[in-house]
Amino acid sequence: MSAYLLRRVPSALLVLLLASFVIFLILRLIPGDPATTLAGPDAPPGTVEAIRAQLGLDQPVLTQYLDWLGSLLTGDLGPSYTIGGDVAELIGNGFGATVELAVGALLLVVALGLALGILGATARSRPVRAAVRILTTTALSVPPFVTGVVLVLTFAVALRWLPAGGHLSVLEAPDLGAQYLLLPSVCLSLPSAAVLGRYLKDGLERALDEDYVRTATALGVSRRRIVWRHALPNALPPAVTVLGMQTGHLLGGAILVEAIFAWPGLGQLAQQGVVLRDYPVVQALLLLLVAVFVATQLLTDIAYAWLDPRIRW
Amino acid sequence: MTTQTETRSGVATGTLARLRARNPYLNGLLSPRGITGLIIVGLLALAGLLAPALADFAPTAQSDQALHSPGGAHPLGTDEVGRDLFSRVLHGIRNDLAIILIAVPVAALAGSLLALLATASRAADAVVQRFFDLVLAFPGLILALAITAIMGPGFLPVVIVIALAETPGFGRVLRAGILVQREREYAVAARVGGAGRARVLIRHVLPNAVDPLIVQLAISLPVAVFIEGAMSFLGVGVRPPEPTLGSVLSQSMPYLSSHPWYAAAPLITVTGLVLGFTLIAEALNKGVRR
Repeated sequence: MSAYLLRRVPSALLVLLLASFVIFLILRLIPGDPATTLAGPDAPPGTVEAIRAQLGLDQPVLTQYLDWLGSLLTGDLGPSYTIGGDVAELIGNGFGATVELAVGALLLVVALGLALGILGATARSRPVRAAVRILTTTALSVPPFVTGVVLVLTFAVALRWLPAGGHLSVLEAPDLGAQYLLLPSVCLSLPSAAVLGRYLKDGLERALDEDYVRTATALGVSRRRIVWRHALPNALPPAVTVLGMQTGHLLGGAILVEAIFAWPGLGQLAQQGVVLRDYPVVQALLLLLVAVFVATQLLTDIAYAWLDPRIRW
Repeated sequence: MTTQTETRSGVATGTLARLRARNPYLNGLLSPRGITGLIIVGLLALAGLLAPALADFAPTAQSDQALHSPGGAHPLGTDEVGRDLFSRVLHGIRNDLAIILIAVPVAALAGSLLALLATASRAADAVVQRFFDLVLAFPGLILALAITAIMGPGFLPVVIVIALAETPGFGRVLRAGILVQREREYAVAARVGGAGRARVLIRHVLPNAVDPLIVQLAISLPVAVFIEGAMSFLGVGVRPPEPTLGSVLSQSMPYLSSHPWYAAAPLITVTGLVLGFTLIAEALNKGVRR
């Protein structure tokens, strides 16, 4: 295992370094000078020069890049251009909310995905199988913003059970916080749960066709035990890979879901940063997203190797 | 499988039946699912096309009748600055279709060219494949934010984001098709017979490899509607006041509890469009797999 880690971690770090360079370079290529924007339209030329020097924009691009890398390592990302406040602080504020949303959605993805997969593969009644199929197809084909509006109209406007949007930390107020969290995380989790369910169903169906299942059945092992002890462990590894890939999509989806439910997370910050052209914020966020993405893939590979002892490093 | 096709062509003898038996796509499209999809998309497309004639008001014309309930001169009511929602939804369909009809063919063309490049040499293949992996690995909306950060919001960035996000799909499908077909006996025979590489590719391999692109095309349409809508919700879509289905729906969000009817029309229309496209894609796919 440690040899495997030694091989995987450096390559992940290299990808990250490359990504940081690309992100930095692309944002430098954008037309328009942030110093002029910051100074305002009527600023005397001296102010622009002063701001440029203050932000280090008069340095060569490579120096600026290395400075930025250094500041990443110390955690001091400097001031934001247009949103106001420190970049590190802004990201810290949004991070908690987004993590809450992502964790809530991920739990739902696993629960719903398992339920859909197991029911789809093992239920004997036709209506149940049809319901699973319809739910899966709907969750996959309806865009999240449609699901979001329908959820709000149903549970917030018509039934008045849950709030339509906003955020309250689950850590500070578990009861109320969970109420705010429920609709956004359901909205975010549905497409990924459907994908996971589909893979799990296929894997289970294949596993249930195997000889060892027939042997176990012949030996009188209960159906429930066969599904949970024998078929499921063999269907899990590919499903975990899918789950890993879906985690990336959850991150992308979170941006949209945060906009729908006025959830003050990193997605909202990213949107603000783009609309207000706040490059330090956008730059740091893009790199953070890539980092999370790379880390997820690394964890997925490790989990895969752990779940399937046949994989050797 | 074969018997089914035989009975079908045996029982029905019309020209259409013969065409259906010969062409799996047409056969799939004419299934109940496909016809439903075609009708939904057809009606919506017609409404969008005729938008200027059908709507009494310009989609961007404001009036002092803000948030007017449906009825009277405004069959779907008005929005928060008194614009006619009927006109905005119809023009929204029109703008969505314009975006999709530019972006998806561009993606198909770019993907196909990259696939041709990838199958031409091993080195090119490695580069093209990594590019596809990169685009696919990035969640689409992050791509959307990055591109809008560079270009600023507008019609063109939306088209570029959709085209870029959908290029790998087309590229992978065609690349796989070419790789499979050119090892088939007929292609090998043509090569042995002395035909040049270009001739084998154009006359023999490509005609047999492009079929799956049709299904890919159908799959890409609902995804394009989805990306447009998502970008509008993020405030990086087509610039207001020009309407798209996504922007009208996202503008209705603050009024969901006070004026629920505001969201109804864009919600139903965008769902219908996605559903219609999805039905067509599924029908085509079923037709091919049969």
